[in-house]
Amino acid sequence: MSRYVLSRIGQAALVLWAAFTVSFVLLQALPGDAILIKFLNPELGLGPEQIAEIRASYGADVPIWTQYLHTVGNFLTGDFGYSIQAGVPVGDLLLANLPPTLWLATLGFLLALVIALGLSVASSLLPLSWLRSFVQSLPSLFVATPVFWLGIVLIQIFSFQLKLIPVINPGPWEALVLPVLTLAVPISAPLAQVLMRNIDRVMTEPYIAVARAKGASRTWVLWRHVAKNAVLPTLTIGGILFGELLAGAVVTEAVFGLNGIGGLTQRAVGHQDIAVLQALVVFSALAFVTINLVVDLLYPVFDPRLKSREGAFA
Amino acid sequence: MSRTIHITRRTTFAALAGISLLAASVGWASTAMAAGVGDTPVKGGSLVYLEQQPHTNLYPPAGGFYPNGGILNQITDKLTYQNPQTLEIEPWIAEAWTVNADATEYTFRIRKGVTFSDGTQLDAAAVAKNYDTFGRGNKELKLPISEVINNYDRSEVVDSHTVKFYFKKPSPGFLQGTSVIGSGLVSLSTLALPYEALGDATKIIGSGPFVVASQTLGRELTLTARKDYNWGPAKLAHQGPAYLDSIKYIITPEDSVRIGALLAGQADVIRQIQAYDEKQVEDEGYLIYAPPTRGVNNSVVFRPDNPLVSDVRVRRALLHATNTDEIVSTLFSANYPKATSIIAKTALGYVDLSSRLGYDVDKAKSLLDETGWKVGPNGLRQKDGKTLELTAYESLPQPQNKETLQLVSQQWGKVGVKLNVLTADSGSATVNNLDPAKAPVSPAMVGRADPDVIKSQYYPTNRNVLLQKGGNSDKVNAFVDEKLNGLLDNLASEPDRAKRLAVAGDVQNYVIDQAYAIPIFEEPQAFAAAPYVKGLSFEAVGRPSFYGTWLAPRR
Repeated sequence: MSRYVLSRIGQAALVLWAAFTVSFVLLQALPGDAILIKFLNPELGLGPEQIAEIRASYGADVPIWTQYLHTVGNFLTGDFGYSIQAGVPVGDLLLANLPPTLWLATLGFLLALVIALGLSVASSLLPLSWLRSFVQSLPSLFVATPVFWLGIVLIQIFSFQLKLIPVINPGPWEALVLPVLTLAVPISAPLAQVLMRNIDRVMTEPYIAVARAKGASRTWVLWRHVAKNAVLPTLTIGGILFGELLAGAVVTEAVFGLNGIGGLTQRAVGHQDIAVLQALVVFSALAFVTINLVVDLLYPVFDPRLKSREGAFA
Repeated sequence: MSRTIHITRRTTFAALAGISLLAASVGWASTAMAAGVGDTPVKGGSLVYLEQQPHTNLYPPAGGFYPNGGILNQITDKLTYQNPQTLEIEPWIAEAWTVNADATEYTFRIRKGVTFSDGTQLDAAAVAKNYDTFGRGNKELKLPISEVINNYDRSEVVDSHTVKFYFKKPSPGFLQGTSVIGSGLVSLSTLALPYEALGDATKIIGSGPFVVASQTLGRELTLTARKDYNWGPAKLAHQGPAYLDSIKYIITPEDSVRIGALLAGQADVIRQIQAYDEKQVEDEGYLIYAPPTRGVNNSVVFRPDNPLVSDVRVRRALLHATNTDEIVSTLFSANYPKATSIIAKTALGYVDLSSRLGYDVDKAKSLLDETGWKVGPNGLRQKDGKTLELTAYESLPQPQNKETLQLVSQQWGKVGVKLNVLTADSGSATVNNLDPAKAPVSPAMVGRADPDVIKSQYYPTNRNVLLQKGGNSDKVNAFVDEKLNGLLDNLASEPDRAKRLAVAGDVQNYVIDQAYAIPIFEEPQAFAAAPYVKGLSFEAVGRPSFYGTWLAPRR
């Protein structure tokens, strides 16, 4: 394995450790905790002494650095602790909630990619200039559309008015249609913007003029020469957009009442369920780091110039 | 991330405006469904019920939280049944009972042939174990004491179907306490589980007409009817198993999605519908149900441990600076009557104190002047370099609580008092709300159809809304009101009914006299249902019961 790859993986591990430690410290620094929130519930009428006993039984009064080492050790062995609010191991919660979010995020991202590509190609190939500028203005509209609002509007039109897709009790695929669309539209906007700019930029390069002069059609030039060069910055932004995807999933899952990492995060924040939040932060960091690592490793595939630089490192 | 959600919630109005335009342009009007014909109940069918929040814990004494109570009421039975119309206590699992003269001994005769859904017998031993747990708690399993059971000592199994309870002091509210959601009877296997395991609905084994068949935590819950159920409340017209085959609870947090789904025929009954949405639902031919909660009214309470509100004159001034008429007419509907005491008109022991709750800005100003809080250059009252600036945390379960508090804040602003209204969607809000220094003002309400409810609300070792020392908060310096606590003790232990109701009157007078609370409105539980949903009923404090519910044919 080349040194380039090794150093990338080393950096990724460092980022993960930092995310774990910073989130651990921040979560510990928050006032109150899940035990207080659950047991200080006035309906229960527990006194401070009883709550102190409960805290001790959960091991919440152990010094912070002992808890830290303990948690690190547990995470390394795949034990993410126990959710105080739900009363089940955090690992079970993650396992139950991960697949729906992965489906939502993957399909959402793919659809966003399709929308972005469609818009970019249209903005370059459409015959009328006013139509082209209309298409070019769409990403600004999309990026300004709140996920929440879009979700409700889609539900109102497609579910409640047209009655095409039920939101209550939908089938497994029906359940994904509107949420995926809701998530994809805002994510497609930055992708389309970057792609359009890059197509415009590459189009002005001398080698394009040469290709056109040789008699190549606009479409042929777009596919043969422009696409590969324009996709590189898009890849970068795709990696960064993963964060947006997760944030969008939180809102989408709330609007559609879906199970998933987003809903889990929302509930964990509400109840300050630290074990769950800690695992979610590490999981998100892991996913983020992995995606960006893959993006980094994909660069040389699209740009042979980077391959030679990699060769210099090797 | 929760912040994102909060901000986007505000866009709901904008969204709704957009939606109505879109709906008009699409040109599809949903047609209201005609009401079902005939009054013969139809057996079978599945009811879809949309709930705003997921349940938290189904230990029966935690049933006060409405999402919990809405489930527990279907899957557990109680010893007695409180008739929601007359508020009389009627037989259910207990066929008959006797109470001694000073209300320290209660004997119940248990109906024969009742079983829990795991097949075990609901007999005197099971009832005794339930009440020993609810009445004394279980430290090892972290099961807390039920707030509806006062002065509990022990149980005695007289024979297989007779159980006797002993109390350390008179406990006149106990009989009614056996009828509430918090006293739902569960099997011994459920009582053997620790508190944190009781968030799993499938672990709650009751003897009720429905059984938990499956759940997806935080998302949905399916209940199926027990075909062998034959022990409903004796005086109900409907006997035998429930009409419905199953009930599907689906958590749908968004108000507009719940209402839209109901009107689009995707749901049958929804809970929590805001006053401003009522008209839209009724215009489409759907029904609003707003059963009263018959308890302590939706109020704003003070925490006198905080020096800013320790002077009774300041609290009285703020009471008179609050215009409840404006709040009710601006934010609510006819289903939310203006409060005229700290408890509802339909509550037991109610006395009308409306003459002492009048809106009077001049009186408020002169009271504040009297205390030395003078209006400063910024329009706010100041004394000794301090500003009369108070804070309250919104209570999420209460209807339009944030808007209510914001309107109160505007009204107090007119007399130079600032009230900051903070959102309660972070965990730290729970902790801060127990600190009188951080939350000198708090919203509060609780429902229960017995005068004991006042004690539940104010007593230090119960809900302790005033934050007295010795309760659930360790941030209180000194505040204790022995006189109030004495009255509350009397209320919970006076065996003579007439005397007890007189004490309830004294407590109401005292709380208003001390201006500990500003009652605002009588809180209903608001539901909406499709016209073909028949026989929907509510227990005495507004939790739904689907035992007698049936679905007429949709046309």
